[in-house]
Amino acid sequence: MFKLLRNQKVRNALLQALYVGALGALVIAGTLIARQNLAAQGITSGFDFLFKSTGWDLGFSLLPASANDPYWWYFIIGILNTLFLGSFGLALATLVGMIVGLAQTSANDLAKLLGRTYVDVFRNIPLILQVFFWYALITHLPPPRSAHEGWGMLLTSRGLYLPAPNVGGLALLAASLAVVAAIVLPIWLGRTSLLSRPLGQRFSVQLAAVAAALVCAVLFLFAGRLPDSPLLDLPSLQGLNLRGGLRIPPEFSALVVAIAIYGGSYIGEIVRGGFKAVGKGQVEAASSLGLTPWQVFTLVRLPLALRAMLPILANQYVWLMKATTMGIAVGFTDFFMITALTINHSGQTLEAIGILMAGFLAINLSLAALFNRINKAIALKGNQLRG
Amino acid sequence: MEMVVVAPPASGKLEDLKRRFFATPRQAVISLLSLSVIVFLVWKLLNWAVFSAVFDASGGPDACHAASGACWSVIAARWRIIFFGLYPYEEQWRSALACVTVVAMTVLSCIPAFWTGRRIALVWGVGAAVFYVLMKGGLLGLGFVGEEMWGGLALTLFIFVTTCLVGFPLAICLALLRRSELPWISRTTGLIIDGVRSLPLISILFTFAIVLPFALPQWLQGDKLYRVILGSALFFSAYQAEIVRGGMQGVPRGQEEAAMALGLSYWHRISRILLPQAMRNALPATINQFVISFKETSLVIIVGFFEILASGNAAYGTGEWRFAYVEVYAFIAMIYFVFVFSLSRYGAFLERRMSVGER
Amino acid sequence: MTVPTTQEIAVRVEGMSKYYGTFHALRDINLTVARGEKIVVCGPSGSGKSTMIRCINRLEEHNAGSIMVLGTELNDDVGNIDEIRREVGMVFQHFNLFPHMTVLENCVLAPMLVRKMPRAEAEATARRYLEKVRIPEQASKYPGQLSGGQQQRVAIARSLCMQPQIMLFDEPTSALDPEMISEVLDVMVTLASEGMTMICVTHEMGFARRVADRVIFMDAGEIVEEAPPEIFFTSAKSERTQLFLSQVLGH
Repeated sequence: MFKLLRNQKVRNALLQALYVGALGALVIAGTLIARQNLAAQGITSGFDFLFKSTGWDLGFSLLPASANDPYWWYFIIGILNTLFLGSFGLALATLVGMIVGLAQTSANDLAKLLGRTYVDVFRNIPLILQVFFWYALITHLPPPRSAHEGWGMLLTSRGLYLPAPNVGGLALLAASLAVVAAIVLPIWLGRTSLLSRPLGQRFSVQLAAVAAALVCAVLFLFAGRLPDSPLLDLPSLQGLNLRGGLRIPPEFSALVVAIAIYGGSYIGEIVRGGFKAVGKGQVEAASSLGLTPWQVFTLVRLPLALRAMLPILANQYVWLMKATTMGIAVGFTDFFMITALTINHSGQTLEAIGILMAGFLAINLSLAALFNRINKAIALKGNQLRG
Repeated sequence: MEMVVVAPPASGKLEDLKRRFFATPRQAVISLLSLSVIVFLVWKLLNWAVFSAVFDASGGPDACHAASGACWSVIAARWRIIFFGLYPYEEQWRSALACVTVVAMTVLSCIPAFWTGRRIALVWGVGAAVFYVLMKGGLLGLGFVGEEMWGGLALTLFIFVTTCLVGFPLAICLALLRRSELPWISRTTGLIIDGVRSLPLISILFTFAIVLPFALPQWLQGDKLYRVILGSALFFSAYQAEIVRGGMQGVPRGQEEAAMALGLSYWHRISRILLPQAMRNALPATINQFVISFKETSLVIIVGFFEILASGNAAYGTGEWRFAYVEVYAFIAMIYFVFVFSLSRYGAFLERRMSVGER
Repeated sequence: MTVPTTQEIAVRVEGMSKYYGTFHALRDINLTVARGEKIVVCGPSGSGKSTMIRCINRLEEHNAGSIMVLGTELNDDVGNIDEIRREVGMVFQHFNLFPHMTVLENCVLAPMLVRKMPRAEAEATARRYLEKVRIPEQASKYPGQLSGGQQQRVAIARSLCMQPQIMLFDEPTSALDPEMISEVLDVMVTLASEGMTMICVTHEMGFARRVADRVIFMDAGEIVEEAPPEIFFTSAKSERTQLFLSQVLGH
């Protein structure tokens, strides 16, 4: 017996069985106890509850929702809200980060100081504090009666009111797709090998593509106009309430602003690191070939820096996506808050947590997969590279 | 190599400035733009925070309404609740002393003389014990104060310290398990680590605070505070484990082989050869992780703890000071800033020092 | 050559094979080393010579055949592995000194932890061996502060501190600058003259001529030739050996 225990192979097998077995037993025991406890409260386990109506209302939703809707619909709305908030936050954070990063790498000491200070201040204050701060700031704005006005917008403690186009949903979707095309097309045209023109001389083609896409967008908007109404629906004060326009609730704006500012400080550092990773030799070589500073930047420094920062940027995006769960702090109905509310109202604890985990796993994995593809597509070819 | 030093053309301060900030028209525009932004911000900030601010609490909220600047009197009036939460008033010196203990602990851990496993464990173990006894009392003539009365900065620091104290050893265990040669152990551990890392911290805190009691027998449930600390320690350890593993990958394979050839047992190889070198490699990233984790302790507010952010909300949330939210948040941000900024500066300093040492 | 008795055998390898996946790294290795014998193993890179000696103290696991070291079978038994590693010292190509410990700490670590030697005794032993490798004055320095040759001599001293009965050398001079090779070889020659059982993987043919009792030539995972140096260098039987020798000695 002892002899057997001294055998390496036997030992290894035993250790593995013990470890996996103990963890498995822990999970099974926990699940069993939880089922029992929940059953004692009259809650049957299983996913049937997904098809029952919720009985409570949502604060923020991109799609129509009412208390009669089933739980599964609420979960979809939650995921959409999370993605919506996330994509706005990420886009703005990237914009802020780019500016801050460029300021930090600039040759100008004053710009550098500004960038550095921005990063040092906003990176060292917890995100949730910033969320609370912006939320407090917005909810302390004047009430609708005495709202700040400008450019057809209204700024009140109930949120930001923007002019909204009086256009059908489908036409709006088509128009936004056309705008996206206006951004993507020139980039694609600049890289594809389908055109016979050399890479540097496609400006006119790109310009034409952008113009065409934008014209399409405008046409869509006009075609989809709701009859008998002005093109823009301006928000206005009627009595004590605001009518018309598009309302952006304070929760959403507070979260977007906080994520953009906080994320921007992190992305700013990543951008700085990316530019730092570009070898001095490459820049010197480009300048010595007679390229203008702008050409050196767009053709050499930026492409190389982007490749260096992309993997870290991907991690940061995943992090920021997870940070949208702070919505619960100010009452934004994101995926996590819907899960928490579901647990409160239905008691389906294990199932709801399971759905939450699966949802975040799916979001993270698809983000990671997306970035892996981009990374592979733009990676420098060959293995004879030197730093 | 000898360099021929060419003396720069004789230049006054003015020439120097011109060269640095106005070399080209574009540079000049950037400089002027940056300068005006800096001047504007600094002036606005100083004016708000100092020149037009109210510092004296005697005037009450009314004095603030009259002034255009910051209303620091809210801090003067409410600092105790921000720092100590609901801790009994006459015992708050204990809470203050406990906070000082944590600061002392942190400073000691930054001194290289304490960078052996045993000493660092001693500092943190003793520090945490002193903190606990001071806060909870019931010993040495100190009155008993239950955890439900803890709050403010002291609670934030308590959660942070215990998270690290539990999370760090756990991280090392997870890292060792993940790099195990036994495939089932390393794969299962990898699954746990990646699973935890893919979840938001809030959802883990929520699970531990509210869901876990369902899945535990009555006698194992413990206090909500300790369950949440456990959750936050698990989250910390999943990230820290990957950092430690990275450090281990930086230790050449030959090190362990040499130890094996000398006949050292597994535990001796790990504790004497692998870990000391791995931790050194992982030091900058570890400090960074501590910084992140300190900022993230603020999330416990969501599962209902009265930590510094929540006590800040309470400090301005009631009646007369309702308008002074900016000052309260600025004050709390400053407290966080002092802790986090000094730690991250220290981390950057270490990183520089180490990269110089490698050359 | 007389057949040694069991007690005189230090290492006996019989029919040993080793695979990396489907790659057959070692094929049917048979080797018997008597106590006090000095073996030099040579061969082109990738011929499996390092793998072979790494099997002798189980840094690599063999897949078939048997290895007996000092009368103990090297198998899955953990106790046997520990026992053998205690008695077999090894010197690596890249020294593998522990960079976070001083030279002295490097030397006393294993005797204290494995042999449970008191610190004073371990330090005395360490100083004796450091003297033997001619660097007693470097005891309180860190490995990073020493030259390659010095580091390798420390590595030898560190192994000797465990008072092993067999020493394995895995290309001990390959990573050294030319001017440092002789200081390491000198130490090895001294060690040989004191009767240590040694198995050395090396390309230093001068060392082989001077010290080896037998020279083994390996190629493609097999032992191709095994002969005393005077025969090995003058009248090798196999063509592969002759080709190798002409390449190594040719210039």
